[in-house]
Amino acid sequence: MFKIARKNFAWWAVALAVLFLLLQVSADLYLPTITSDLIDKGIAQNDQSYIWSQGGKMLIVALIGLLAAGGNVYFASTQAMRVGQKLRTQMYSKIINFSSREFTDFGDSSLITRTTNDIVQIQNVLVTMLRMMLQAPIMLIAAGVLAYNREAKLTTVFLVSLPLLAVSVLIIMYFVVPLFKSIQKKTDRINLVFREGLTGVRVIRAFNQDQFEQDRFDVANKDYTATSTKAQTIVSFMFPIMTLILSGTNIGIIWLGGHLIGDMSMQVGNLVAFMTYSTQILMSFMMLSMVFVMVPRAQASGQRINEVLDRESSVKDAQGNDLKSFDQSQPASLEFDHVDFTYRGAENMALQDVNFKATSGQTVAIIGGTGSGKSTMVNLIPRLFNVDHGEIKVNGQNNASVSQNQLHEAISITQQKAVLFKGTIRSNMQYGKSDASDDEIWHALDIAQSKDFIEENGGLDAIVEQNGDNFSGGQRQRLAITRTIIKPASIYVFDDSFSALDFKTDAELRMALKQDENVANAVSVIVAQRVSTVADADLILVMDNGKVVGQGKHQELKANNETYRQIVESQIREGDGQNA
Amino acid sequence: MRNPNHGSKGPTEKPQHFWPTTKRLFKYMGRWIPGVVISIVLGAVSVVLSVNAPKVLGQATTEIYKGVTKGYGEMKAGLHVTSLPINFDKIIQILIVVGLLYGISAIFSMIQQVVMTRISQQVVYRLRRDFKAKMQRVPVSYYDTHSNGDIMSRAINDMDNIAGTLQQSLIQIVTSILTFFGVLYFMLTISWKLTLLALITVPISLVIVGIIAPKSQKLFAKQQASLGKLNDQVEENYAGHTVVRTFNHEQDAIDKFNGQNSEYYKAAWKAQFFSTLMFPMMNFTKNLTYLLVAVVGTLEVASGTVTLGNVQAMLQYTNQLSQPITQIANLSNTIQATIASAERIFAVLDEPEMEDTIQADSKAIDISAKVVFDDVAFSYDKNPLIKDFNLLAPKNDMVAIVGPTGAGKTTIINLLERFYDIQSGNIYLDGKETRNMTREEVRSHFAMVLQETWLFTGSIFDNIKYGNESATEEEVYAAAESAHADGFIRQLPDGYNTILDESASNISQGQRQLITIARAFVANPEILILDEATSSVDTRTESLIQKAMNSLQQNRTSFVVAHRLSTIRNAENIIVVNHGSIVETGNHDNLMKQNGFYADLYNSQFLGNQI
Repeated sequence: MFKIARKNFAWWAVALAVLFLLLQVSADLYLPTITSDLIDKGIAQNDQSYIWSQGGKMLIVALIGLLAAGGNVYFASTQAMRVGQKLRTQMYSKIINFSSREFTDFGDSSLITRTTNDIVQIQNVLVTMLRMMLQAPIMLIAAGVLAYNREAKLTTVFLVSLPLLAVSVLIIMYFVVPLFKSIQKKTDRINLVFREGLTGVRVIRAFNQDQFEQDRFDVANKDYTATSTKAQTIVSFMFPIMTLILSGTNIGIIWLGGHLIGDMSMQVGNLVAFMTYSTQILMSFMMLSMVFVMVPRAQASGQRINEVLDRESSVKDAQGNDLKSFDQSQPASLEFDHVDFTYRGAENMALQDVNFKATSGQTVAIIGGTGSGKSTMVNLIPRLFNVDHGEIKVNGQNNASVSQNQLHEAISITQQKAVLFKGTIRSNMQYGKSDASDDEIWHALDIAQSKDFIEENGGLDAIVEQNGDNFSGGQRQRLAITRTIIKPASIYVFDDSFSALDFKTDAELRMALKQDENVANAVSVIVAQRVSTVADADLILVMDNGKVVGQGKHQELKANNETYRQIVESQIREGDGQNA
Repeated sequence: MRNPNHGSKGPTEKPQHFWPTTKRLFKYMGRWIPGVVISIVLGAVSVVLSVNAPKVLGQATTEIYKGVTKGYGEMKAGLHVTSLPINFDKIIQILIVVGLLYGISAIFSMIQQVVMTRISQQVVYRLRRDFKAKMQRVPVSYYDTHSNGDIMSRAINDMDNIAGTLQQSLIQIVTSILTFFGVLYFMLTISWKLTLLALITVPISLVIVGIIAPKSQKLFAKQQASLGKLNDQVEENYAGHTVVRTFNHEQDAIDKFNGQNSEYYKAAWKAQFFSTLMFPMMNFTKNLTYLLVAVVGTLEVASGTVTLGNVQAMLQYTNQLSQPITQIANLSNTIQATIASAERIFAVLDEPEMEDTIQADSKAIDISAKVVFDDVAFSYDKNPLIKDFNLLAPKNDMVAIVGPTGAGKTTIINLLERFYDIQSGNIYLDGKETRNMTREEVRSHFAMVLQETWLFTGSIFDNIKYGNESATEEEVYAAAESAHADGFIRQLPDGYNTILDESASNISQGQRQLITIARAFVANPEILILDEATSSVDTRTESLIQKAMNSLQQNRTSFVVAHRLSTIRNAENIIVVNHGSIVETGNHDNLMKQNGFYADLYNSQFLGNQI
């Protein structure tokens, strides 16, 4: 967390915040000093006008204190929020440019929490830090100096009590801070178990596991309660102990002060001043200890934020002479040249020695079982991950040697899970091509068999809710396909995009796609589960366990490839063999 | 301990029924009430003692001052004085009393805190446990009508509010009020004039609190709204990350985000500034009081109406007087929010629970069929969904339920498992009316696999065993093997001990599904329910599972909800649902012959199929 503060603070503003804080603390401490003069001179000489003028002085000091505090609050608030803003921008830009590997490593929801809650946590602690955490040390130093100047000998009382105070706070913190850290983990656990109970209610009941569920929660609940009770108990000792130490200080001041006065080496007014100092020191220590409790949480947040900021995207653009661009005269082509790929931490290769080539106008279809590596393969084309060995050539160029920007320009993808953005149909379609005209959009919608339901739903200005929730799964998928084909590209990828469509729509869509001029001259890659979807492809790749176990056309594969035949047979049963 | 800025955070939610809920909360604390009372008494004693201390300490100062005056008097009289005649014996006595006051006060305060900590933690522990237990007893319809987000927020945020308030605020109210009046009392015994002076600033404090608090609440509301929009953007673009990147929209997304980010910044610093401003303002009024008492006090000392020790005590008291006011002001917000939280939690605890309805009039029937629907009628709301529904599912038969999405296929499953109870008619299981059995008994005959693959955070082994807690290790492995899950599980680095994390990102969706299928295998049920169970598994894996399913379905009755009609062609009985009602029933061949809805549905699958 301190690393974050160090990197993002505007130091002049922090300096101002501290300066104002110093002024505020001095003003607070100056008041009792004046009081002490009031007593020593005013009372002794019974000088009323002196007393009133000192009163006026006190009012001015109090006002200065107020203004200084206001200044401190202003700079503390703006500065802390500014750091939050900066962090948010850094995180967001960083994460948006992450490759899919980093996304898989962290997980979507974790990245969301880090960008939202964790940063809010940090900025709230920073405000408190700039206000209260600094106040205690400043107060200590200022009070120390003032006290020493007033009466050096009486300061010995503080020399005993302040270290005592500091040590007791440190001891308490030593025990409490780790406890609070573990409370955080236990809170997460309790929330997790509870949430799982909600999402799994049907399964839990169907398996009569209510008791198991209740017990599971009870374990987490008990565990949390025990730790929390321990931590809170220790914390609750803090206040009485601190009060006690400061009360002892007051007694010491009177005792030692009394003797000093008795020896005529000190005046009475100082007694009052010193006792006010001690109260103020106490107050600032209380604040400090409250801040300390917040710190472990913020520390954890800071750590999570730094983990993201320190992470470099594993996919980087080539630099200098290595950076090439596409040769525009080359026709569209896609080539996998002995490509290997392994997910981080996985034992087995996700892809092993994948080899194929397709050129302009051709359709490559990929078919295979769950986890056979189909999606992995298409994710490597736009370089969402780096390959381990071999290379992928797009339009004759290694996809790692062109900039990601240019690479993505050349590729248009529909993913398995259709993602739409909040806005309108038009804004979502223009996501594919920012200057797409209404005619172009309608044309593409027509190809993707989406024209009818968009017309029914209010045309291109129809609202798309967050995640496209107001459209059905099949509709979302067709809209995603539309967005993909609006974008002019050399390679079109449809990752299992047709599975939510019924057979009829699927066939009509593929038929229409072939007529589209954008797609007709490009390479199309279709990942599918249905044999019917892949049957007319120019090249079918049959995947099993990360390996291409067969490639060719439908009829050849059906005749020669065991895996393919199995797949076909499992589906022919559907069609009663009548269409085969 | 919570945020020191407590009270002024966020808009306060007002409870609907403040007093009844408060009363109920206390009632809920039941056997801990004596502890609370003890704690309050201890707290009160502690406050009374510590409030007493400054006045007593003041006596010591007065004693010193007396010595000083006397000494100077002697000096004036021409005596040579090397030290002032201060009565240190008396001072020691006074200091011992003060020490005892402070000491005992501290001890009481500690005991009080410990007691209250235990109580508040225990109360919230119980509240959480009861809340969870309630979750097991509400009917499934509760989950269909309440969002998870809402329930979670009650179980977490509202629970936290109550814990914090019980822990700190409850005692704080008592001690604050006591401190205020105690301090006031001692001030009055010293000088009513100075006390009045000190009280002048009380209304000022109240005005400050009254102005700033609502203003900062409004600003906080604005900040929250702005943060919500920001978070929406984050969620949307992270979820659609690949789309953002492959469409080269990174910069565009960042620009939009930055715009919203600076909006948030503007709202946030203002909210922070105003809410924090309260503290310096209160400090200023405190200083104002301090200087008034100091000036007037010294004037009084000079004129001899008040002792110096008393002025010193008064100054200490004025510092103590402003604190409870700020505290109470903050507390009123906190307490309102807490009671509102308690209200939301109690609302859940009051939800109607599932009843065990014994239908005395419906006798068991003598029939060999496993499951019988007899004139069943059911509706979720006013619109009748199922009417005059009859079905005979003989032992070991397969009943398939088909129809377009949203047609109400799942409803029949809901009735079978008694997630919902039918409104009229009877459902018989082995000839016994299911409403004459407990829900647990009914469900013990079933195992099911749902489209959404729910697994809990724990090892794969435990997740499979979940289907049957008494299963042996071998049975678990065998089940995994039957579900074709054994292979991939053993390939994982930790095998069966692999912990599935929350999003279970370490295994694929299809693999998750295989685990839930293994879980159903291990349950070894008489009746199997498969609700679109294979829709997230590719066709090849599906065909493997299908083989296993077929063998599992041997000697078992099964209900299958399916998208792909191929999986149910050999079902003995197919129920076709559309728009929430059953339109056709029969087996595949009969239905095809009828050339109705089913035939349409079936044929539509193969249009354009050019294999």
